[in-house]
Amino acid sequence: MIVLEYILLVGVIVCAIAAPLCKRLLASVIVYMAMSLMMAVLWSLLQSPDLAITEAAVGAGVTSILFFLTLKKIHALKGTHDE
Amino acid sequence: MLEDIIQNRYAVTAVILFGIGFTNLMLQQNLLRKVIGFNIMDSAIFLLLASLGYIDGGVAPIVGDRGFDPLYINPIPSGLVLTGIVVSVSITAFSLALIQRIYRRYGTIEMRELLERAKKEDD
Amino acid sequence: MSKQSEKHDRLRRLVSWVDGDREPKDQTLFVMEQRPHRDLRPSEEEFERREKDRLRKFFNWYPIAAAVICVALGVILLATVMNMPGFGQEDNPINNEVSERYLEQGAEETGSENVVTAMIIGYRGFDTLGESCVLFLAVAAVMILLLRDPRNTSEHEVRQLEREEASAQEHADLILKQVAWVLIPFIFLFAIYVLLNGETSPGGGFSGGTILGAGLILFSASFGPRHMQVLMNRRRYSAVRTFGLLLYGILYGIYIFIGANDLPNYLTGMILLIDLAVGLVVACTMYGFYALFSRGEI
Repeated sequence: MIVLEYILLVGVIVCAIAAPLCKRLLASVIVYMAMSLMMAVLWSLLQSPDLAITEAAVGAGVTSILFFLTLKKIHALKGTHDE
Repeated sequence: MLEDIIQNRYAVTAVILFGIGFTNLMLQQNLLRKVIGFNIMDSAIFLLLASLGYIDGGVAPIVGDRGFDPLYINPIPSGLVLTGIVVSVSITAFSLALIQRIYRRYGTIEMRELLERAKKEDD
Repeated sequence: MSKQSEKHDRLRRLVSWVDGDREPKDQTLFVMEQRPHRDLRPSEEEFERREKDRLRKFFNWYPIAAAVICVALGVILLATVMNMPGFGQEDNPINNEVSERYLEQGAEETGSENVVTAMIIGYRGFDTLGESCVLFLAVAAVMILLLRDPRNTSEHEVRQLEREEASAQEHADLILKQVAWVLIPFIFLFAIYVLLNGETSPGGGFSGGTILGAGLILFSASFGPRHMQVLMNRRRYSAVRTFGLLLYGILYGIYIFIGANDLPNYLTGMILLIDLAVGLVVACTMYGFYALFSRGEI
């Protein structure tokens, strides 16, 4: 269990460093989403399942969708067919 | 030193995350990346709070008919973080809405161009 | 200097302040420009050149200052963390009599086995009421920013939106639709399970509400706004949102007057209803954000 803990803690830090350094905004949002999911596992390791459920629904779901919609509105997504 | 770090691993991770988030918030030129940095700061604070309430060998604070008397973790930080996570979503949504409006008005979300264009319009 | 001239001076200062030539001396906002008097003001080109210079200087110095602040903050925080009580020890100062009391008496006093829910809804319900208001206001603020209105949208934008909707109708994503068809009932079922079982298992208003909101978002994204209108239109949305907040306020008021403060708790099932109210507010918030971000209307 403690090995998983260390892997997750290091993974969260790596994701946090990588997220804003990605060249494309879409990639940074996806890396942030991965970080959120790792946090959700960390919550359940810390014995707070309420937080794990909420974080999994919020961090990986709603926040990312809001980011994607914003990316679409500011025309930072390539491959969408407008104009 | 190393023992301290291993002992307080969650708190150290939280501080590192907070530093990364704060650096991004201050130094990134792109507003969207600033918001991501802000969210990382949020996560760091939640991690610190939740790790404070943990007790080794404790179980989740659901007081049921457990035969022997188990050790429960502290429920207060969990409750505080639970409300905090939901508020952080609404803050993110509000800042993203502001970014959309800024893009509609100035056509860019890069900080430097934005300041120059705003200055030009001011004059 | 005589008294007369001092008075005159002060009057002149007041007049120039009223004219807008001078701003009140504010020590906190040192970025605020202190405009010189109208007669001493430089010419337009000089002013522009000076402004550009100032902006350039700002951009040169800002990263250095920010980096210094970040490093200093990191060092201070790390030093603090090193001196914190050990992780996971039972006799840490945070594990004091408050949490002991919640763990021992929570189930009897509030009727909820899950102490986190008991704490959020029961002991600290007033805090959660403020929180629900924050969510309500967040949706209102996003509405102010993004709601589409004949006055703030041009013809071009409206046409583009219509075109996008039409193309989405034509090229509906088959995989998304089929997967959503299978998944959505289970998501709603799980959301309702989490929402209503906050007393005995992990979950409750916030968790269940977010899952419910995510299910609504998936429904809206896969089947389009036209089908969503059947489930949730503008009037119903605002009615549900307001109803949730009002229900929470009324129920918690009753809860305070009847159950709290050492009086016997007559309404043990109260937590369930309050959870439901919180869940409605949170779900509406999540879905409202999505709808406003994607279409600009609910």
